[in-house]
Amino acid sequence: MTMKFQDYRTAFQVGSLALVLLAASPALSLIVSFPRSGESFSELWLLGSNHMAENFPFNVQAGEEISLFLGVGNHLGNSAYYLVYVKFRNQTQPLPNANSSEPSYIPSIHEFQFLLADGDVWETPVTFEILDASVEGDSMVVESVSVNDRVYPVECSSTWDSENSGFYFQLFFELWVYNSERSSFQFHDRFVGVWLNMTG
Amino acid sequence: MQSSKLCFLSASVLLFALFLMLMFPVSAAGNQEVAAFSISEAEWSMVQAYEAVLGAESADADVSGLLVRLNDAAALLSEARMAFDVGDFDEAAGYAESTSEVGYEIVDEVEMLEIEVANARVYSSWGVVVISVLGVSVVVVASLVGYSFFKRRYYRRLSKMKPRVE
Repeated sequence: MTMKFQDYRTAFQVGSLALVLLAASPALSLIVSFPRSGESFSELWLLGSNHMAENFPFNVQAGEEISLFLGVGNHLGNSAYYLVYVKFRNQTQPLPNANSSEPSYIPSIHEFQFLLADGDVWETPVTFEILDASVEGDSMVVESVSVNDRVYPVECSSTWDSENSGFYFQLFFELWVYNSERSSFQFHDRFVGVWLNMTG
Repeated sequence: MQSSKLCFLSASVLLFALFLMLMFPVSAAGNQEVAAFSISEAEWSMVQAYEAVLGAESADADVSGLLVRLNDAAALLSEARMAFDVGDFDEAAGYAESTSEVGYEIVDEVEMLEIEVANARVYSSWGVVVISVLGVSVVVVASLVGYSFFKRRYYRRLSKMKPRVE
């Protein structure tokens, strides 16, 4: 019988201890901090003129305005300071390498800087136009473009791609984020772009 | 007399033209330097403001309003950098100065906000501690009372039991 009473007492003590911890939990939460669960990442997307992932421009001519929507989503767990570089290249110039965190060395023609709270998204319309382009032999030279009505000289040439029948250029967007530890922006391993065929 | 006047006038015009030719590149280079300096100051102020906002955010302050303004400043900084790249130094300097202004304002506001948040946190921490101490006290007292009641009842029941002899 004494053993049975001790069992009751143990159950009573355990129950009381659990209730004490429950009552003290608000105060304990001031001291103990729990690590954030879940993955930290950023989204980068490009949509066509009708604000959907379709109707991307492909066959373009000089003087033709193309419309896109560029978006970024922040899921880093805190507010982030982003920078998107707009770049224009031909088929032989390098793209960024997301695996080795290396951006493309091509100079940017336009940029967007913005801050986003955790869980928020940013989206902006982008209008792009090739202003001056000329064919010289088997290559096409694009001399100037405009992004959101701002004109930039580019001097980008592309040789005739006989396999795909066209002069191919790519407009792409690199996502960078400010790194407080390094006190600088760094490539965030994300980029999106559209191919443009200048024979269309 | 007439010809010496004409010579003097021609020499003055030539000297003035020479002066302008020399001054124009100097002025353009000066504008470029001013714009470059304004942009680097704007970049610095943006980073300071962002770091301050990040610090306030980690202290649980509501930084949504500050982020909206900082966003506007970031857009101005982009404009400044792009204007600089195409050689529009006056426009670049103007945008950069506006950016710096907002950046510094935000740094000052974050300092005030952090003080408010720290004060609020002290008050709420005291509230939480008092509630927890009260809660623990209630649980401890209830447990002791419950335990003594249960113990008494248990032994009363035990004493009323009849021994079984086999």
